[in-house]
Amino acid sequence: MNTFIIIITGILGATSTFYVNEHLKQGAVRASALLSLCVSLFFYCLPDLLNSYLTQNIPTAFIGASFVGMVSSKAISHYKWLILAGIIFSIIYINKSTFFKGYGGALGTTAFIALLATMAIPVVFSRKKKITNGILIFRKWLFRDKDE
Amino acid sequence: MTKPSNRLKTSKKTHKAIQVFSKFAIMCVLTLFTIMIVLEKYKTHALESGIIIALIIITMWLGYKYLDVHLNEYTYEEFLVVIWVPIGAVLCYFLNIYGALGGVLSTALTGTVASFLPVLNTKSEYLKKLPPAIYCGSFIGMSSVEIAPSISFVIVAGILSGVFLLVSKSIFLGIGGKLGMVAFGGVLMVSFVYWCYIWLGL
Repeated sequence: MNTFIIIITGILGATSTFYVNEHLKQGAVRASALLSLCVSLFFYCLPDLLNSYLTQNIPTAFIGASFVGMVSSKAISHYKWLILAGIIFSIIYINKSTFFKGYGGALGTTAFIALLATMAIPVVFSRKKKITNGILIFRKWLFRDKDE
Repeated sequence: MTKPSNRLKTSKKTHKAIQVFSKFAIMCVLTLFTIMIVLEKYKTHALESGIIIALIIITMWLGYKYLDVHLNEYTYEEFLVVIWVPIGAVLCYFLNIYGALGGVLSTALTGTVASFLPVLNTKSEYLKKLPPAIYCGSFIGMSSVEIAPSISFVIVAGILSGVFLLVSKSIFLGIGGKLGMVAFGGVLMVSFVYWCYIWLGL
C-alpha cells in the first residue's frame, strides 16, 4: 500500500509541476519550489495524520518528482510521458541505495535518470531502422575475418 | 606566436573537449548511482528490482546516444550568476541544520524566495537568471550532517558546483534534474576528498 501511495505521489508531483510551469506560466523554479513548500508544510504541521513512513517519504518523493516536471515542453510534449517518468522515478526512489543517503542532489540525479530513460523510449522505437543498421555494421565488423 | 586562425581552431577544440568530457562525466556519475542500487539489491537477493534498474540503465545509455538535447555552439554561464550557488547553499544549510526545518522544507523555502527575486525589477535580465542558480545551491544545503559536517564543506561544494554549472550550460538542455545533478557532482567530489583526508590521513 505504501509503495502504491509513493508511486501516486510521483505521478502527481511530475504532472502538477508541469501544469503550473507551462500552463500557468510561473517558471520552472517557482512551480517546483512552491508546490513542494505546500506539501512539506502540510506534513510539517500535521505529522500524525499518516504513518511515520509516509510522513517522512511523501514530501521527499514529491520534491523529487517535481524536478521531473521542471522539464521544458520542447523535450516532453505529452502528459503520458510525464506519467511514465513519474512512475520510473518512484521505482528508483523506492529502491534507492543507502550508500548515497544524505547526499544533497541525489533526488535530482534520480529525476535526471528517470527523464533520460523516458525520453529515450520514443526515440529508440521510432528509429528502429537506425539501430538495426548499427547491429548489421557491428555483425559485419565482428565476422569480417571469416568473410575475407 | 600562433596565427589568429590557428588560435581560433585550438580554442574550438578546447571547447569541444570540455563539452565531451562533461557529458561523459555526467553519464559516469549516473551509471555509478544506479550500479550502487543494483549491487545492493544483488546482496539482498531482490532480483526483480535489480533487473528493472539494470533495464533503466540500458535505456538511459540509449537515450544518451540517440537523443539530441545539446547545443552545437559552446556557451558558458556568466560568472556573476554562478556566484549565487554557494550563497544559496549556505542559506539552505543554515535553515536545514540550525533552523531544524529538515531538508525538503528548507530547500522549498529557499527556492520559493529565490523565484520571486525577478519581481524586484522586471526589466532586469540579470535577476531572471538568479533563481536556477540559487535553487541549484539549495540542493547542496539539503545534505545531512553526516555528509556535510561543517559550513566550509558546503561552501567548497557550492563553489565546485558553480564551476560545473558554468561548464554545463549548453549540454542536456531543458531536462529537469540537471540542477540536482550538478549539485550532486559537487557534493560527491568534495566528500570523496574529505574521506581521503580523514580516513587515509593524507
